[in-house]
Amino acid sequence: MLRKLSPTAQVLTVGLLIVAVAWVILPFYWAFLNSVKKPADTFANTFIPFLQFQPTLEHWVGELAIPETRQALLNSTMIAIGAATISILIGTPAAYALARFRFHRPSNRFLTTWFLSQRILPPVLFVVPFFLIMRELRLLDSILALVLLNATFTLPFSVIILSQMFRELPRELEEAAYVDGATTFQAFSRVALPLVLPGLVAAWIICMAFSWNEFLFALSLTTKTAIPMPVIIAGAEHTRGVQFWYVGVRTLLTLLPPTILALLAQRYIVRGLTFGAVKG
Amino acid sequence: MATIATTQIPQKRIGLVEHRDRAKRFFLLPAVVWVLAFSIFPLLYALYNSLFSFRFGRINEFVGLQNFGRLLTDANLHSGLRTTLIFVASTIVVQMILGFGLALLLNQEMRGRNVLRAIMILPLFATPVAIGYLGITIFYEQNGPLNVLLRALGIEPVPWLSNPFWALVAVILVDIWQWTPFVFLVSLAALQALPIDLYEAAEVDGASRFASFRYITLPLMTPTLFLILLLRLVEAFKVFDIPTSLTLGGPGRATEVYSLFTYRTAMRFFDHGYAAAQGFLLLVIVSVIVTLLFRRIGRLYDVES
Repeated sequence: MLRKLSPTAQVLTVGLLIVAVAWVILPFYWAFLNSVKKPADTFANTFIPFLQFQPTLEHWVGELAIPETRQALLNSTMIAIGAATISILIGTPAAYALARFRFHRPSNRFLTTWFLSQRILPPVLFVVPFFLIMRELRLLDSILALVLLNATFTLPFSVIILSQMFRELPRELEEAAYVDGATTFQAFSRVALPLVLPGLVAAWIICMAFSWNEFLFALSLTTKTAIPMPVIIAGAEHTRGVQFWYVGVRTLLTLLPPTILALLAQRYIVRGLTFGAVKG
Repeated sequence: MATIATTQIPQKRIGLVEHRDRAKRFFLLPAVVWVLAFSIFPLLYALYNSLFSFRFGRINEFVGLQNFGRLLTDANLHSGLRTTLIFVASTIVVQMILGFGLALLLNQEMRGRNVLRAIMILPLFATPVAIGYLGITIFYEQNGPLNVLLRALGIEPVPWLSNPFWALVAVILVDIWQWTPFVFLVSLAALQALPIDLYEAAEVDGASRFASFRYITLPLMTPTLFLILLLRLVEAFKVFDIPTSLTLGGPGRATEVYSLFTYRTAMRFFDHGYAAAQGFLLLVIVSVIVTLLFRRIGRLYDVES
């Protein structure tokens, strides 16, 4: 906006800004607060550790000592890394093909829409077939099953985001490589790929965060050994009664990894979530 | 020398294009095969399953379209659909208004924009289940922070999770918290990409601030707003995580959204055929709405070449 705002408008803007930031931050702070409060302090209206109450790490230590929690953290990590890596490995060449080569029957436009349309399919539609297929393959309650599924559901992200990035590269660099006798694969791997590397890492990170957060299939397909963090926490308090301190710890243990990952890829978040239609 | 160079390069290029023609399929093949195996095949398998009745998780007998017939008369399914529609409509309307409004206000030179952007990213990737789970403590009825705040403001405490109406409001509020930043960030990015000279010209011509907004910003932002609407619609219809962790679909069936009902049909009652049919109905509903609203999705992505 070009015009200077009037002082009243500026004050109003700053006020709204503060409200918006507080609205976003407070739930995180609430989780943190409970995670370091002694149970007796839970309902005291105190908000500043050390000044108003003596913080404690006992709930963090206690929660991380539980074997199920450690297993779930490990499972979530393996699922996220495995799924995102597969998604990028098969998505990147496809992205390059859509950006650089002309296809007929089906056309590039059709192929792009086809990959994109995967996101319209409601995940709940896949609960029954995946459950039955994984049971046949004896993959129920396995990390591998969740890796395969999350790779599938994050594939549209890697294909579409990366094909937008390849399209933004000047074609001339690869043309020059061809003139020097490079093969198609060499032009892709030695010229184009290094140039989109930051974007590729961002796409990998975004796919990891999505896979970490996935809940429906984790709930349907795991029973014991492959349970990831989201399943550990879902519904636990409804049966055990609400222990604010453990809710705080488990909430942060679950949401901090994907949130930190997203911050690392923040330049690409808008582009990623809009499949490249809006560049942030 | 010059003539040799100009005649050689085009020849070489022709050869390369053909070579590329052969190679291009191999680039696309893994992803296409993957989607066929893990997406299209399960989809067809679900369609096949929807034609059977199941007993103890095993295919029992062929029932034709009977499972689809049940969709028409199942009051619980209809209640799940109604809840989902209420959820989708209210979350999206509020998110669009708040997110776009905030983006308009903050679309100006200011310090700390990058910090603001980082803060707004925080909710987007926070695990929805974890947020719903945390919500149990935020909406806690005796001395929970929200009710304490309301009491301090002189408002009666709200029975957030025990009252059917307020439980749905709580679910909606959590989703608004999580996704308003998405509308904000995308709108802001698009606003900042608008051509500044149009505003300069309008100002020279004496256009009011409102006129600039009405005749420049709004028309130029319409495609972006439609894109946001589309992406939010598609995702909102999938809602499952937040009501499952915050309210377990309760009290009663007040927050049992469509996907939660279908999940229970499949995994609690092992009525696999009927659950598959429900999944297809949801797909049809989402597809119809999306196609009616957006006939030109492809244009948002310049996939011409």
